[in-house]
Amino acid sequence: MVSLRVEGLRKSFPGVVALDGIDLNVREGEYVVILGPTGAGKTTLLKTIAGLARQDSGHIYFDQQRVDTLMPFQRSVAYLPQNYSLFAHLTVWENVAFGPTVQDWSPRRRDQIVREMLNLVHLSDRRNSLPRELSGGMQQRVALARALATQARILLLDEPLRALDARLRLELRQELRTLAKYLGITTLHVTHDQEEAISVADRIVIIRKGKVVQAGSPKEVYEDPSTPFVSNFIGEANFLQGLLSRVEDGFSVIMLSDGRHVMGRPTNVPVNSQVVLGVKTDFCNVYHGKVEGQNSLTGTVVRSLFTGKRTTLEIQTGQGLLKAKVPSDQSLSEGSEATLRFRPENGIVYPIPNEGLQVALEVE
Amino acid sequence: MPRIKLEGVSKSFGKITALEQVNFEMQDGEYITILGPSGCGKTTLIKIVAGIWTPTEGRVLVDNKDITNTPMEERDLGYVFQNIILFPHMNVKDNAGYSPRVKGLSEKQIEERSSSAMELVGVLEQQGYLPNELSGGAQQKASLARAIASKARLLLLDEPLSALDARVRVELRYALRRLVKDLNLTAIHVTHDQDEAMSVADRVVIMRKGKIVEIGEPTQLYNQPRTLFTANFVGQSNFLEGTVQLVENGNAAVELRGERFLKVANTGFSIGDPVVLAIRPEHLTLSPEERPNTLRSKIEESRFMGPYTRYRLRAETGDELLVDLPTTEAKVADGSSASVHFNPDFILSYTRPSQGLTEALRLE
Repeated sequence: MVSLRVEGLRKSFPGVVALDGIDLNVREGEYVVILGPTGAGKTTLLKTIAGLARQDSGHIYFDQQRVDTLMPFQRSVAYLPQNYSLFAHLTVWENVAFGPTVQDWSPRRRDQIVREMLNLVHLSDRRNSLPRELSGGMQQRVALARALATQARILLLDEPLRALDARLRLELRQELRTLAKYLGITTLHVTHDQEEAISVADRIVIIRKGKVVQAGSPKEVYEDPSTPFVSNFIGEANFLQGLLSRVEDGFSVIMLSDGRHVMGRPTNVPVNSQVVLGVKTDFCNVYHGKVEGQNSLTGTVVRSLFTGKRTTLEIQTGQGLLKAKVPSDQSLSEGSEATLRFRPENGIVYPIPNEGLQVALEVE
Repeated sequence: MPRIKLEGVSKSFGKITALEQVNFEMQDGEYITILGPSGCGKTTLIKIVAGIWTPTEGRVLVDNKDITNTPMEERDLGYVFQNIILFPHMNVKDNAGYSPRVKGLSEKQIEERSSSAMELVGVLEQQGYLPNELSGGAQQKASLARAIASKARLLLLDEPLSALDARVRVELRYALRRLVKDLNLTAIHVTHDQDEAMSVADRVVIMRKGKIVEIGEPTQLYNQPRTLFTANFVGQSNFLEGTVQLVENGNAAVELRGERFLKVANTGFSIGDPVVLAIRPEHLTLSPEERPNTLRSKIEESRFMGPYTRYRLRAETGDELLVDLPTTEAKVADGSSASVHFNPDFILSYTRPSQGLTEALRLE
């Protein structure tokens, strides 16, 4: 098992800065997900670690050894690119045996590892099939087994589930984590899907425009997002802009444009500044009719979107269109009067972003 | 206006049967999603409605008029593809104005139609941009503008969100549903994503292996799925195999493995019937002590998932159980024992399938 350290990694392409000083620490055996929108630099980061792209500056270490001067095959990483392709004319067994064969392992050692890998991905009974005879999920498993059969020190997965059906992804993402943990392999998994990130990661590193925005456990990045972007990217959030008027009982009191007040978590922003309060739609409760009290915003339900266990209600209020994701048995019908409420400890107060809130929230 | 009816539609490609005897009817102004795993025939179905393919057997009727052999260009419809197809050398405005121009409308009418379409989907500000200067989401909005500028009343959406980032998809779902309803269009939308299917549709058609499995409103499919496949494909469920041992006033006692019993409300089954019980992870609860209708279980893993925490348990029957508790209530530690409580009203019961449970649930 090895740890991975990335220091001040920079990489530019003509007209684009893909990596803008990335620092990263991954512990031995840790499963880290790199999460960010398209164009954030995720794939470039993986390729640079794999040795398929060369950084402009910065260093990469496996344990204490500097590896960014090594050729890809000397780094001993298993890299599963987004558009992997299996050898179409080779069987499942031969595909998985490819790495060990090229590396000239003894037949006995090779066969043992191939057998073990096929076992792990539940494909032992398909060893003689050709890739085209397999479903998409099975092909994905073969590609994973092939990548792992070289007994690499680090596993790099680039959007490993993107090509699969949504429902199948739920099954395979659990398998990925279970497999990596069983092998104890240090893993970096790149995705744009925040649910996938939360469900498999020990730690999530959110990157945007080539920079790390926040890193932490799924719970930390979900419950304590450091910026409005993170707050809205992991889950979905409502934002209320106003003036931080005072601090009361340890909570921030914010005056909204209509003169009403809402309360949120304490903040470092000085009193009398313009601020934005972000609250996750998951933390918003909805009540039928008009309900008075702290942190209450009344309006009309304009749309209700059912997604099974939860329903998203869009409520038109004096503070704009707000959303609440509620358990489906607490849903309200379109057209009804509703009050959205949230607890002050779930409202996070941020300074108004320099680039403006709209731009700060852009997800692509 | 457009009422669409498919009568006994089948389609074969050589030896492969892509669609087998598909019958269904939709109303004017209805938003239908066709949901199913890869290879289920959903794309073939929408292409037959579009006129891209002709069925091997059966008829397609629009407002009772047989259009089975009418070529695509003579059908009055807008089509949006998964792989965004815009004219690369035309800006957004010219793309949006394409269909009115081909139809030979005056410059004034072209201007009106394209502007109103761009405004509706929210790309008016980007009208001067070429497709490659836009983000994926904006490009797909532009294709949507082009489709609706044709003034066709039937909108066909073929995996319209699949190429986009997860977070962008969620935003566009809202936009799609709003657009279709505001313009009173009839829409058929093909997807493999069950959340997407449920959140936008009036009714969902579930397909598998070239056949329609069931059709229903989203809440009905989620709460009362008629088949085991749907119970597993639309949201996740726990499944337990057993045999009915007692029936009283519509309530049954079902014997599971390990001589354990569960009470199930409202089943139509008789004593001796082999059944499968299904229940959603969010309908199970954990209690520290034994109660009626519980299974003693060991917690193998708990995982923070944002608004809820997912527990994976091994029940005394040997079955694996998934239990979702709101994160605020989730306080049980891994490795400890808990009793999983089954509310009889939330348990669904099905005839145990002759092909075996695994096969009945298979996702691909």
